Amino acid sequence: MTPDERHGSLEATFREEWPRAVAMLTRVLGDLALAEDAVQDAFTKALERWPRDGAPRSPGAWIVATARNGAIDRLRREQTFARKAELLGRLQDVPADEDADMSSIPDERLALLFTCCHPALAVETRITLTLREVGGLTTREIARAFLASESTIAQRLVRAKRRVRETGIPFRVPPDHLLPERVPDVLRVLYLVFNEGYAATAGDALIRRELCAEAIRLAKLLCVLMPDEPEAFGLLALLLLQDSRRDARIGNDGELVLLGDQDRARWDRAAIDEGLRVLRRAEAMRRPGPYQLQAVIAAGHASGADPAAIADAYAVLERFDPSPVVRLNRAIAVALAGEVEVGLEMLDELESLEGYLYLPAARADLLRRLGRVTEAAAAYREALARSDNEPERRFLERRLTEVSPAAS
Amino acid sequence: MRYALLVYSDQSAWEALDPDEAARQRTESMPRWLALFDELGKADPNAEGHELDTAATARVVRVVDGERVVTDGPFAESKEQIGGLFVTSLDHLDEAIRIAALVPAAAYGSLEIRPIVEQ
Repeated sequence: MTPDERHGSLEATFREEWPRAVAMLTRVLGDLALAEDAVQDAFTKALERWPRDGAPRSPGAWIVATARNGAIDRLRREQTFARKAELLGRLQDVPADEDADMSSIPDERLALLFTCCHPALAVETRITLTLREVGGLTTREIARAFLASESTIAQRLVRAKRRVRETGIPFRVPPDHLLPERVPDVLRVLYLVFNEGYAATAGDALIRRELCAEAIRLAKLLCVLMPDEPEAFGLLALLLLQDSRRDARIGNDGELVLLGDQDRARWDRAAIDEGLRVLRRAEAMRRPGPYQLQAVIAAGHASGADPAAIADAYAVLERFDPSPVVRLNRAIAVALAGEVEVGLEMLDELESLEGYLYLPAARADLLRRLGRVTEAAAAYREALARSDNEPERRFLERRLTEVSPAAS
Repeated sequence: MRYALLVYSDQSAWEALDPDEAARQRTESMPRWLALFDELGKADPNAEGHELDTAATARVVRVVDGERVVTDGPFAESKEQIGGLFVTSLDHLDEAIRIAALVPAAAYGSLEIRPIVEQ
């Protein structure tokens, strides 16, 4: 192994083991910031020792045991800490065996995920905290992904952990009766992480791709932790299916390529198959929800389903989620299924999407299909005025030229 | 964790009611208040709750350039005024949210949960 490869594999181990250890220590210490400090110390030691002495037999158990010992040392040095004795007592219960089997260490990652996604935190904070604590990404990696400075992200994390402590956000998996309202919060955070990588509003394509991969990894973890939650599988299926089209979405000149015009050979077949398998597993639970329905629609696109069936799926989705964005997509699906004028009427009812680029872009497209070129051109111009995304702008400009009378 | 639960509602609507109607509504809401006190007592036997007199009774005190200035309340423009408060020690925020939703005023006004800063 080259030093770089060794470092790469250490990084992968860290990302895997970080949330287990942070969750375990948070459960014991009752404080996310204290837990993270202890685990961070353990990782620093690992970085010194593992390359020299070789990786331990059970890296996760080594990290937990080392974090525990570090936390005990830290607490002993603390003079004034009122709860010192109590916490030292509780730390004695943490497995100190570096070679322990990980299955003997309680898995508290789901509680950690719910804490990071608690609705009392701002959405931006939930995303950052989830990537750091559950995803195990470093502050630097998060900063790169969001084009923010490392100090901005570090500050946001410090404030977030203080907020969790000071407002008393519980470290727990919510009781059953609260799950229907809290699970969607978790799903939404993971979806937003993915979308941040997929929408490519700015920034380096490679980093964005990592963000999508991270969202998929977290969705897989959620499926492991909540094996009876169909929407977790629905979300994972949706992310896999959307990600399968990533390469085909951008043309050779960096312009946006719409679904109907995409080169299907550039779709990732393995990701589609995996997405479809996960979707079948969700559907077998017979409790539909908005993410499953979006996955059904994405699956329909991937397998070239009848456009009318896709429009029908949108009608069902709208019952779960009557948001303007869903209604807009339904209108487009209806138009693609051949009823262009009905689709256009549905779009015209959507006054509430002020400033949303996709409304004029969709109107322009339907007007173009109806041959109403003057109105289409006006709508393309309106969409252009709202877009600052380069591939999108190129696409809209090309369409605008198509509907404009040739310059004489 | 200690929390203050601040009860906000539009008191002018309440004051505009004729006394019989106000009494009737009070009686009608009583079982819900008793259910709240029951749950709150279980969660925190030492919880305190107070109803405040109407905003019309408020006196507002400021010290301006060292001079004491006392004026009538209410001083805020907002329609909803604070009408009462609870101070309670609970396990965590979710518990505070659960209790707040049981306060009958949450159905026609709103409850604000503020953690009390501990030194």
